Amino acid sequence: MSLQASLNKRPKHDGRLSMEFQYRGNKTVLSNCYQNPPLRASRPLYINPANRSEATVYLVETSGGIVEGDHNVFDIDIKEGADVCLIPQSATKIYPSYNGIWSSQDMDITIGPKASLSFKTEAVIPFEQARFNSKTVIQMTSDSTFLWGDILSPGRVARGEVFEYTDVRTNFQVWMDDECLIYDPLLISKDNMGLKKMGMLEDHLFIGSMWFVTPTIEEFDIRELNERLQESPHSKASASMLEGKAVNVRWLASDLVDLKKEMNRIWDEFANYIV
Amino acid sequence: MNNQREGSKNHSNIEATNTNPWLLHLIQIHDTAFPTGSFAHSFGMETYIQESDISNEDDLKAFCDMYLRQNLASTDAIIAQEAYRLAKENDLQGLIRLENICHAIKLSPETRKGSMMMGRQFLQTVQPLNNSELFTIWCEKLKNKEIKSHYPVVYGIYTAMLGVDLRTSLETFLYSSITSLVQNGVRAIPLGQNSGVQTIFSLLPVIQETTSRVMTLDLEHLDNNSIGLEIASMKHEFLHSRLFIS
Repeated sequence: MSLQASLNKRPKHDGRLSMEFQYRGNKTVLSNCYQNPPLRASRPLYINPANRSEATVYLVETSGGIVEGDHNVFDIDIKEGADVCLIPQSATKIYPSYNGIWSSQDMDITIGPKASLSFKTEAVIPFEQARFNSKTVIQMTSDSTFLWGDILSPGRVARGEVFEYTDVRTNFQVWMDDECLIYDPLLISKDNMGLKKMGMLEDHLFIGSMWFVTPTIEEFDIRELNERLQESPHSKASASMLEGKAVNVRWLASDLVDLKKEMNRIWDEFANYIV
Repeated sequence: MNNQREGSKNHSNIEATNTNPWLLHLIQIHDTAFPTGSFAHSFGMETYIQESDISNEDDLKAFCDMYLRQNLASTDAIIAQEAYRLAKENDLQGLIRLENICHAIKLSPETRKGSMMMGRQFLQTVQPLNNSELFTIWCEKLKNKEIKSHYPVVYGIYTAMLGVDLRTSLETFLYSSITSLVQNGVRAIPLGQNSGVQTIFSLLPVIQETTSRVMTLDLEHLDNNSIGLEIASMKHEFLHSRLFIS
């Protein structure tokens, strides 16, 4: 059997993690959980000192990364009044696709009335020759809360691997009832680059995105946040208010550690704002 | 002389006029005097001008080249094309869904608002000129605040209703977007009028090339890769002095 044929025969993983959260008594409980390897979830922890009823769950990928043809599905349903914090255990690593097959990830999240989801910032790291397609759809109500951070890395920068992946497509959507509030597709291919041009990524390597939607967001001082973002020597960033319903913060940066530090600081500010 | 004689014998010129009754009207809606309000929008370019990243004709050309190939070709031109196709199929629900996406994909509030302002002004100006059923319904939907009326969607519908062919619709959409931007750049940098004329002339082949590429794409190819421009547009809201709304 040739090497190529044996590669094509690799059993692909169809990971699935379905979780349902409910507010019962005086805390949020993980009322239903289905796990199919390599996706797993930790037990809910109650570690947020500002909100003891909030369930914190670590998302675990036991295989260490997504390999050619793998397909992971997250299905998260947060019922009325429940507060959830999800923390990815590590960056999502996308391994090379030597057989050209795309790997993919679908995340469907529903946030019920007066419920909240805070999703901690982590990076997606596509290795050389990786092909990755991800779609994240958040369905929320006008009185629910959503905080999310993510980073798209150009590859394993420490070993000089920068934009060596073949294709990365991401599609991030937030729907408030029937209204599409945020529709953010990125489509970066090795051959469609031009990424260094003015208006594109310019001289930066990492794209950071943060979204914050909460009913009282209109009172948030977006000008002050924007002024602070301009002071960072490590990145180019800006914040804006969308429709008086959502805050969008975007970063372009060249250093992952500095970017993560800054994003975590802003994430904590938003998290405190909810409380 | 021979050519003139040939031309006078050839009736195809007259036929061309007859088969393109929309041609003069298409020129009319792209005249700078046509009130779409495009003179008031830089869609983030003014931030680059204020930060001295665009200070001469070459910078302006480079910016507009990026704007065509990486921004318009990945968002508004695909949306205008989709609106044109849906309008031809009389698919009202599809158009409403498309408008939703067009609104949500613009992640800078000023760009979002600019696209709506231009769309509304365009719609209100051309409304008395077109009585096709779909266009009338679209106007009604704006009146009832059921749609936002983004410019690429309105433009796609209107040109489809006029009977303009898709390639011409896209080429003129890209052309008018880029001429407005260049003229605004000429005013803001500032540059001489000849620089503006030369910049637009140098971008004409890019407009044709981009049109051909967009015609091979669909909504699956939408992307927000021009993150630098998005950040510039977000920052524009907080600039101390501004010539443009966006």
